Amino acid sequence: MKAMLIDTTRCVGCRGCQVACKQWNGLPAEETVFFGGPGYQNPRDLSGKTWTLITYNEAQVGDHYDWVYGKLQCMHCQEPACAASCPTSAMEKLPEGPVVYHPNQCLGCRYCMLACPFQVIRFDWFSANPYVSKCTMCADRVLSGQEPACVKACPTDALVFGDREVLIAEAHHRIEDNPRKYVHHVFGEHEVGGTCVLHLSTVPFELLGYRSDLPEKSLRRWTEPAMKPIPYIVVALSLALGGVAWIVNRRDKRLVEKWTKQVKEMQ
Amino acid sequence: MTNHFIDMVNADVVMIMGSNTAENHPIATKWITRTKERGALILNVDPRFTRTSTFADVYCKIRSGTDIAFVNGMINYALQNDFIQREYVVNYTNAPCIIREDFAYTDGLFSGYDPAKRSYDKTTWAYELDGAGLPRRDETLQHPRCVYQLMKTFFARYDPDTVCRITGSPKDDYEKICRHYTSTWAPDRVGTWLYAMGTTQHTHGTQNIRSYSVLQTLLGNVGLAGGGINALRGESNVQGSTDMGLLFHILTGYLGSPTVPDQTLADYLERLVPKTKDPKSANWWGNYPKYITSLTKAWWGQYGTPENGFGFDYLPKAAGNCSHIALFEAMYDGKIKGLMLFGQNPAVGGPNSNKERAALDKLEWMVAVDLFETDTSVFWKRPGVNPADIKTEVFLLPACSSVEKEGSISSSGRWVQWRYAASHPIGESRSDLWILDALAKSLKKAYAAGGAFPDPIVKLNWDYGSGPEVDLHTEPDAHRVAREINGYFLADKVVNEKSFKKGDQVPSFAFLQDDGSTACGCWIYCGSYAGPEKKDNKMARRDKTDAPNKIGLFPNWAWCWPVNRRIIYNRASCDPSGRPWDPKRWVVRWNAETKKWEGDVPDGPWPPEEKHPFIMRPDGYAALFAPALAEGPFPEHYEPLESPLRNFMSSQQINPAIKLWHKDKPDMNPVGDASEFPIVGTTYRVSEHWQAGAMTRNVPWLCELVPDVFVEVGPALAKIKGIKNGDRVIVKSARGRMEAYALVTNRFQRFHCGDQIVHQIGIVWHFGYAGLATGDSANLLTAHIGDANTMIPEYKAFLCDIERKEVVPA
Repeated sequence: MKAMLIDTTRCVGCRGCQVACKQWNGLPAEETVFFGGPGYQNPRDLSGKTWTLITYNEAQVGDHYDWVYGKLQCMHCQEPACAASCPTSAMEKLPEGPVVYHPNQCLGCRYCMLACPFQVIRFDWFSANPYVSKCTMCADRVLSGQEPACVKACPTDALVFGDREVLIAEAHHRIEDNPRKYVHHVFGEHEVGGTCVLHLSTVPFELLGYRSDLPEKSLRRWTEPAMKPIPYIVVALSLALGGVAWIVNRRDKRLVEKWTKQVKEMQ
Repeated sequence: MTNHFIDMVNADVVMIMGSNTAENHPIATKWITRTKERGALILNVDPRFTRTSTFADVYCKIRSGTDIAFVNGMINYALQNDFIQREYVVNYTNAPCIIREDFAYTDGLFSGYDPAKRSYDKTTWAYELDGAGLPRRDETLQHPRCVYQLMKTFFARYDPDTVCRITGSPKDDYEKICRHYTSTWAPDRVGTWLYAMGTTQHTHGTQNIRSYSVLQTLLGNVGLAGGGINALRGESNVQGSTDMGLLFHILTGYLGSPTVPDQTLADYLERLVPKTKDPKSANWWGNYPKYITSLTKAWWGQYGTPENGFGFDYLPKAAGNCSHIALFEAMYDGKIKGLMLFGQNPAVGGPNSNKERAALDKLEWMVAVDLFETDTSVFWKRPGVNPADIKTEVFLLPACSSVEKEGSISSSGRWVQWRYAASHPIGESRSDLWILDALAKSLKKAYAAGGAFPDPIVKLNWDYGSGPEVDLHTEPDAHRVAREINGYFLADKVVNEKSFKKGDQVPSFAFLQDDGSTACGCWIYCGSYAGPEKKDNKMARRDKTDAPNKIGLFPNWAWCWPVNRRIIYNRASCDPSGRPWDPKRWVVRWNAETKKWEGDVPDGPWPPEEKHPFIMRPDGYAALFAPALAEGPFPEHYEPLESPLRNFMSSQQINPAIKLWHKDKPDMNPVGDASEFPIVGTTYRVSEHWQAGAMTRNVPWLCELVPDVFVEVGPALAKIKGIKNGDRVIVKSARGRMEAYALVTNRFQRFHCGDQIVHQIGIVWHFGYAGLATGDSANLLTAHIGDANTMIPEYKAFLCDIERKEVVPA
């Protein structure tokens, strides 16, 4: 399984990744004013048009001031809660690593958004025919043996792409080689059952906008029992509500007929 | 760069001063982060905590315009503590040379100053010569007038308290920088010094670089892997443009531009060819006659005869300074009728934009060649003017972008890489080469009918394979241009026991001749295309094999001037017997058995003791004492033209050798003072935009990232001025005013200069009124004032004031 390692100590905040993502995926620019977040951050948040975002975070590290960058994007969980919560399998985990989205199967229920522990899935609120969207790990590139566009663009190798096991070992090597530099944790190794995006950082991960309270076990154990009966519930609900609708409609029809008759009589 | 980008991985200490490498050279940052992971220390000195500072081990703030004080203090630290590479200094620099008795320094001025002319008579800035005409030397460095002793006295004035009072740097941080950097004096430790426009764009920009070079030389860091003086050039091919003579004071290959006194080739050579009586000095510039003759022969071929100096007589002779500021002053005075711009946008990028835009109004015609409509090409409809009042006729020629054409690009590290066209030009856009070719052919046709002095145009050697007529669909052949730049024989000739036929390519500049038998468009590129076929184009090489010394030279990847030498002055990387100072990362070494150098291409084939290693210097020594520059043989601190502080070093407030435009041409050239404008302003770029913005402010993805012009303000100043993050603010200088968003950030801190507090703000300068993302230009605030040697404008330090813009509720 493939993964991406993001080493924030190598990142220089140039945002080549953010632009490369839009270029490869054909995503339009957002209209922004000044800056949407701390430092030079733009846009304000992830959206249907922005699948990855560099955040600029001012921090006090020991006795000195620092400015650290975070990269927000889909974490491509090993056992993705979004896929488990999707009633129509519009979200799918590929064996190669990427969690991909099939818009033609999507109901638009947005359960995936609620289920995502990293809050990275966005809904296109301004579209008449809306879909959800998120980073696909450039699955089209990955499946043809290339690295994702953001990794390709990174000038300092802050982003590297490869086999997940190899990258986890590499991440631990880097921590061992520079124990004073890094937080001793590979974010994504165990969180919610492990993800295919791994982070190394010099500052606590909360500062980069990541939750530190995530369980190590997959979230499927919550979403799956909840979602498994959903097809039955949907069918049962459809039938029941259909019945109610039929009754209500029949009553309405009768009432209309009755009122029409009365009006005619009055005339 | 003396070295090159990949070479940064060899450094033990990396100093980044006057460069925001991470934001403006993000790809170079790759090598710095790699060397950091190897255990190297990264030091960063900058007025503002930038994206570069984020990966530095030590960051030290500095008030804009005080680099010389800072680095002279480091030089003093090295000299006082004897942290110098003594063997290197004694053998390879002019530290032991004895200076004339009448050389003097008093209160900010060196001997020979003429205040009326604002310039120096440099007669006294010279060596004392012995009977043979060689500099007298004292290798014990004890003679009171040897360069080393003069330096000890001169630089002692820059003690840490004085330095920090001038620069506003915290003393702790400053001393950390001194300690870490001077640790590279040890022969097996190396430091590299990176700089960019933060260094050069000052009235003392050239002397800023001098101070870096003096320190690097004292520490024995020049010529070594992981060392050197490394300018990160401001654009991807600006190295190529200076190599090819795009500046006003040089022709190709850094040959000087002829001036009015150079009426004949002999006059020109007399002025420019350096002389030496030292048999151990290679004095490479002694070859000047070969290079200039080959150049004019390339341009005029058979019409360059011994009678006309091989074509020298056809070269224009410049009368006076033709730098950017001087041209725009002349344009403002109505002395210039027409302007051709290739990818240049002076309405945004030039200093004192109000004046430069007003100067454009006086043109009869303008031709702008660019990818997009630039701010300059639409100057006639800029805010605040009535297009009907402007009579200039403007032509906008659509140029194609770098990926739509074939040709070479030269990186800061002197690597010349061949690129192929990746796609066809859009619409009717054409390459610069096509446009120039069409222009030349049209001019030749026009002058064939006669003119004031038609010969230089009519007889110009011009054949790049596109036929005699201008044809929209025939692209000139970039290979023909490259082969001419490399050079070829004009006659059968035997040189250095090798025989050549007429038309053969010249294999290297050692074969160029001063008798008119060779033609060469740029002598330093000689050897880049040493044969007739495309396979002989060494710039196109893509071999990833490293050289045996494994220091990242990659000698068969592209080609590097001169003669594919990847690290220049590399003979200085060895001791006088030819053994590397640091055998672990040797650049070259002398093989006593084969009697040859191995490793990089050495700075000349001579055995180690036979020649001094600094072959481009007339005396062969690295110049700690250098009479070449306008304002003195040692770098001395002066305040910028506009400064809130008096000069603590001397009573000379500003560089005594700069031309004062506000005195000579007062119209639209006011200078502000600290009573009205108490805040220091500086300008800079961000990763997301490029130069004057034409190529990026038209790209929606980049406009999304940085959509508006903004001013970075420190929290202390913001509090005083009542400015909050995101407020609209007005910034004013004596020359103009602009509006922007305020970004209040801890990354800008005030400076404590003695008992005075100095606030500084920074403004991105990419913006203008054309394109998708628009905003006021920061250069509305900057002044027409330039460096004493190069005339580069002082963009990086000026006085201003800032206030919150009151927004009236609707």
